[in-house]
Amino acid sequence: MKRREFLKKAGATIGVITALPEITCGKGLLTSPVTTNRLRPPGAVPEEIFAGKCIRCGRCVEVCPYRSIRLLDIRSGIFTGTPIIAAEAIPCYLCMKCVLICPTGTLRKISQEQTRMGLAVVNRHRCYTWQGSIICRTCFDVCPYKGRAIILDELRPIVVNDHCTGCGICTHACPVTAEDGSKAINIEPIYAQETVLWK
Amino acid sequence: MVKNTLVISQRFLTFHARRLWVLSGAFLVILLGPLANYYFQINWIQGWYQSLGVGKFWFVSPLEGLESILVAKQLYLPALIAMLAPVLLALLLGSVFCSWVCPISFFSEILDGIRRKISGRKWLKDRLLLSRRLLWYALLGELTLTMILGGPVFVFVSPPGLVGRELMTLIFFHTLALEGVILLLVLGMNLVTRRFYCRYFCPLGATLNLLGSRRKLAVRMDHDRCTACGLCDRRCPLGLSPANGMTASLYCWNCGECVDACQSQALSFQWRSASSEDSPSESVPTSSQKPNIPTETAGFWQ
Repeated sequence: MKRREFLKKAGATIGVITALPEITCGKGLLTSPVTTNRLRPPGAVPEEIFAGKCIRCGRCVEVCPYRSIRLLDIRSGIFTGTPIIAAEAIPCYLCMKCVLICPTGTLRKISQEQTRMGLAVVNRHRCYTWQGSIICRTCFDVCPYKGRAIILDELRPIVVNDHCTGCGICTHACPVTAEDGSKAINIEPIYAQETVLWK
Repeated sequence: MVKNTLVISQRFLTFHARRLWVLSGAFLVILLGPLANYYFQINWIQGWYQSLGVGKFWFVSPLEGLESILVAKQLYLPALIAMLAPVLLALLLGSVFCSWVCPISFFSEILDGIRRKISGRKWLKDRLLLSRRLLWYALLGELTLTMILGGPVFVFVSPPGLVGRELMTLIFFHTLALEGVILLLVLGMNLVTRRFYCRYFCPLGATLNLLGSRRKLAVRMDHDRCTACGLCDRRCPLGLSPANGMTASLYCWNCGECVDACQSQALSFQWRSASSEDSPSESVPTSSQKPNIPTETAGFWQ
């Protein structure tokens, strides 16, 4: 085989391997795994540089006393080995242990109240109280910032953007579970999509 | 004299035996760390050899730290401080991490032992030999790929880190991560050529080799004592030739196997002093005719 031929074939192979997951699963090697109820630990830098900054040492997983944080495996492309929290399974209880031990500053040292893992969003078509079937205020009761992050308006839960930390305790506690596993109150990781200013 | 003490103590415990003890200890750290974290909630030790936290002391692997800085373009002081100790270790002693600490070396030693028992041979053969320069291309390629993808590649496929991650995943989630296949490949290639991956492909090894290019500790050869028996050449796990002064090259990882192998005590660990210019490579007259000697890679470093 000639060199040019070899290089052409090698390039094509690499291209196909890179593009294959994108075509087959709609999820590429560079697609962020952070979606609804799939959150980064507290203080995480935006997704744009998360994969680059995190060195996959797994120390946040080891110190997490609630086993909230898990590691992604090779199927997540370049996000392999990064920490993720499945809010509806085990939410973050904001113990802030992980932010103290992150060696690369991927998890910034912030306080509980500054944490913005996402924003809780009530699905009013699913929520029992909003639908008027029963009066449920589970999310209000479990919220660590109850009365501030979740308030009751005529007994119906409303999320206040300024105070919601996105910890997911409400999602975990919500009694409504849809077929796709989502709840009547879900965490949207809106802060993960922030852009980074290059200084 | 340093040399005399080393030779005397060698009679009680060979460098091979010492290395096995250190390797086992290093492996126990990353095995007991997750166990203590999971079952006893003792967070004193966290992580593995990508970043290890022992109490208030943090260590970050130089290459992983470098990748993180390159991609994120942000400096983080704790990470830089945590990289200091490994970098200093490499500057002083060369890539001793690879031979004395790395869990891949630990498994390779065990595998070599088993292979020796099964085959009944004292010397293990290297069946596939490539150019040693591949190591530098692996480092360059890896850094380039990292910059293109915008995500560090080595940090999630690095075999030393993978051992730690697999152990942690096993203990914490009672399962194994899929990327462990890479480990099997790396260890499997040891059957073809000893330390195949370490010799030709490990970017971390290449980084540490570069850092250790002016290391203070190196194996030195006493030509008056050498009987040219060739035992050291056959023993070297990296396939280097200590008899030809290759212990002074960038590739030597100071494991001390050749010192053990030498029957006439011609080889010994010595500190290179900064003042005297008698580095081992310069004391070898034939070194300029042999391949893979430091002069060849000196250009790369400068």
